[in-house]
Amino acid sequence: MDIIHFSTEDEINLLVIVVDVNPLWWGQQAQREAEFTLSKCLDAVMVMGNSHMAMTRTNKLAVIASHCQDSHFLYPMKNWGSSDGATDDASCSGDGKYELLSVTNNVIAEEMRNIMLKTEIKGNSTATLLAGSLAKALCYIHRVSKELAVGQEMKSRILVVKASEDCALQYMNFMNVIFAAQKQNILIDACVLDSDSGLLQQACDITGGLYLKIPQKVALAQYLLWVFLPDTEQRSQLVLPPPAHVDYRAACFCHQNLIEIGYVCSVCLSIFCKFSPICSTCQ
Amino acid sequence: MASLSEEVLLVVKKVRQRKQDGTMYLMAERIAWCPEGKDRFTVSHPYADIRCQKISPDGKAKIQLQLVLHTGESTTFHFSNDSTALKDREAAKELLQQLLPRFKKKANKELEEKNRMLQEDPVLFQMYKDLVVSKVISAEEFWTNRLGGVNNTDSVVQNNKQEVGISGAFLADIRPQTDGCNGLKYNLTADIIESIFRTYPAVKQKYSENVPHNLTEKEFWTCFFQSHYFHRDRINTGTQDIFSECAKQDEKGLKSMVIQGVKNPLVDLLSLEDKTLDEGYGNGLTRASTSSTNKTIKDNSNAAIIKRFNHHSAMVLAAGSRRGETAAEQASETSSTDGNSRDSDLFQPPVKKAKLQEAIEYEDLQRENGQKTVALNLKKSYRYAHGPVPLQSQQYTSSQDIINSISCIQHEMTNYKPNLTQVLSSAAATSAIAALSPGGVLMQGGSQQAINQMVPTDIQGELKHLYVAAGELLRHFWSCFPVNSPFLEEKLTGHLEEMLQTAYSKLHTWQTRQMTMRKT
Repeated sequence: MDIIHFSTEDEINLLVIVVDVNPLWWGQQAQREAEFTLSKCLDAVMVMGNSHMAMTRTNKLAVIASHCQDSHFLYPMKNWGSSDGATDDASCSGDGKYELLSVTNNVIAEEMRNIMLKTEIKGNSTATLLAGSLAKALCYIHRVSKELAVGQEMKSRILVVKASEDCALQYMNFMNVIFAAQKQNILIDACVLDSDSGLLQQACDITGGLYLKIPQKVALAQYLLWVFLPDTEQRSQLVLPPPAHVDYRAACFCHQNLIEIGYVCSVCLSIFCKFSPICSTCQ
Repeated sequence: MASLSEEVLLVVKKVRQRKQDGTMYLMAERIAWCPEGKDRFTVSHPYADIRCQKISPDGKAKIQLQLVLHTGESTTFHFSNDSTALKDREAAKELLQQLLPRFKKKANKELEEKNRMLQEDPVLFQMYKDLVVSKVISAEEFWTNRLGGVNNTDSVVQNNKQEVGISGAFLADIRPQTDGCNGLKYNLTADIIESIFRTYPAVKQKYSENVPHNLTEKEFWTCFFQSHYFHRDRINTGTQDIFSECAKQDEKGLKSMVIQGVKNPLVDLLSLEDKTLDEGYGNGLTRASTSSTNKTIKDNSNAAIIKRFNHHSAMVLAAGSRRGETAAEQASETSSTDGNSRDSDLFQPPVKKAKLQEAIEYEDLQRENGQKTVALNLKKSYRYAHGPVPLQSQQYTSSQDIINSISCIQHEMTNYKPNLTQVLSSAAATSAIAALSPGGVLMQGGSQQAINQMVPTDIQGELKHLYVAAGELLRHFWSCFPVNSPFLEEKLTGHLEEMLQTAYSKLHTWQTRQMTMRKT
């Protein structure tokens, strides 16, 4: 057993939390279970964020809300530096809290309210734009890594809190995001509230993160703190839930069934469950 | 009768052969003689068969011409025309002189070729010995397939070997050595002689005219070197040199070359000069004429040397590019002597364009040609976009549901205020921890034992004490904030810090003790 090594002062740890705020799912959830609503979820996420920032001075945080219309940064805000006057009021909290934490919480709450007020559902787009949010997270990480001072190193990871189901249309974008994250050595962790997500399982498996589907939604904060708060180095010292078996089966192009043995066209690489002399994709 | 298709080059009457009067005909490819009164040739020899010709010495009464064939036979013709015998014979001899080498080359070349092939290929030689010498197949049959185009001697020779060019300094290589007493010794090798003949066909002609009738070889060369023709300063003093004619021919040749100009546009320097439209437009200077009479004598002699050098170089180049031409063409210096007229043929517009293109483009600087690929033709490319997610039955959400959900969530969010002290109840927390501990619900892949069975009880006890003590210290620490009194500040920076240090060191020693105990 190794002695725990403390990370150097110069290493920055960036955590990006992507929260699924699909209004349909959360609205229906509020009607199903009144004890665990979006407010409670956001509270738990805030606790997680505060804890992360309180661990070390050099830790950084970002929170993205993943909606069906768009993805929105809850924290940090875009006009952070300009309106200093506005943040002064927010920073003085009554209970002697660390200023950064109180500012963070207030900003997140404020932005959340704004997003929800502007919600309009158009047409049939009821799926969460998760791939887009992940892409935004990757871009943010990339930007911050470019703005580092000389000699500073940065390690980053993404935590996805997912509520609604997978959307098959986002498959291509999702896979691209996953491979990009893998190339950049960015972990993707997933905390799933309701239904298992094959895409997130693959993401965690490929990038080396943790996938967890929690049995009790009300204890979300505990799960987040126990499993997802430690970073990569510390995780090797801890006893954590083992990785789940990932179903890597492909789906055939004709029926979209998951198959174990199939036929592949040598020209266009499309997969079929039944043999046919002419490939229907490329002839 | 002789075939009328043959071209008759010379007819000589009153030529006796074997004591018979007759007429000698020199045709394009053979020499023939028919007796007086008859109309059939009794004697006919193709030039290729003739090895050489001989003439009777000048002093003799009979004026004769003898033809020696390759086979060893010889035929003698006696020119019996009283008045013109000598002239006839000279005419015949000259014509033969010109024609024979042409055919001789062919015959020789054939034999040479055959010999070379047999020598180079021992297998072929063996086959030849086995088949032809022992009369299984005739020599002609053997060679018909092998030689393939014997008449195109030029191409055969050119296919097999490159011709050796002429060194430009061949004349300078003949270094004269002083003989001791005011004489000079020139060392002439066969190579040098060949170079001289190839470069200066006029000299070759003189040689063939005079040797071996008038002068011996040695005398010829002595004369050559003594003549002003060879020397630097070519002053045409009109001496009765056999070479003064050559000098005149050289001048003529040089002038014609200059007049021809340079046809190759890539090499023509004159075309680069400024052209004037009129006085005042661009270059107003008139070009100085090259044949001005104001030159001094010194300039003249310099000009002479330069002219000689230019001429010499031009002749060397011409000789190098003149390949396999017949003797007749070689005699005239000015026909195709340099690459110039060849160039004029070569620089017709399409060829010229190709040559210019060649000069400006480099193959390895061109863009690389990508490999030829076949384009992929996809009919249903949307299939790739759908992931390995089985088609699920879409959960039908009616628009009413949507509206309800949204209004519900909006209502909730407008009143949202973070309430971080009530996030977690202890019951929920403990059940979560139990699920996450080894043996719990979520830890099915790991060890099945519960953690409190894996750790011995005394260590559990010690750890619990340490944990409680540390928790108490932390409570004190956090209660100091916000630091708004000097007492708190002093407490913080003073003994609380001490206590934290001691606590930390205690924990550290305990940890190392446990680790060393595990190792043993």
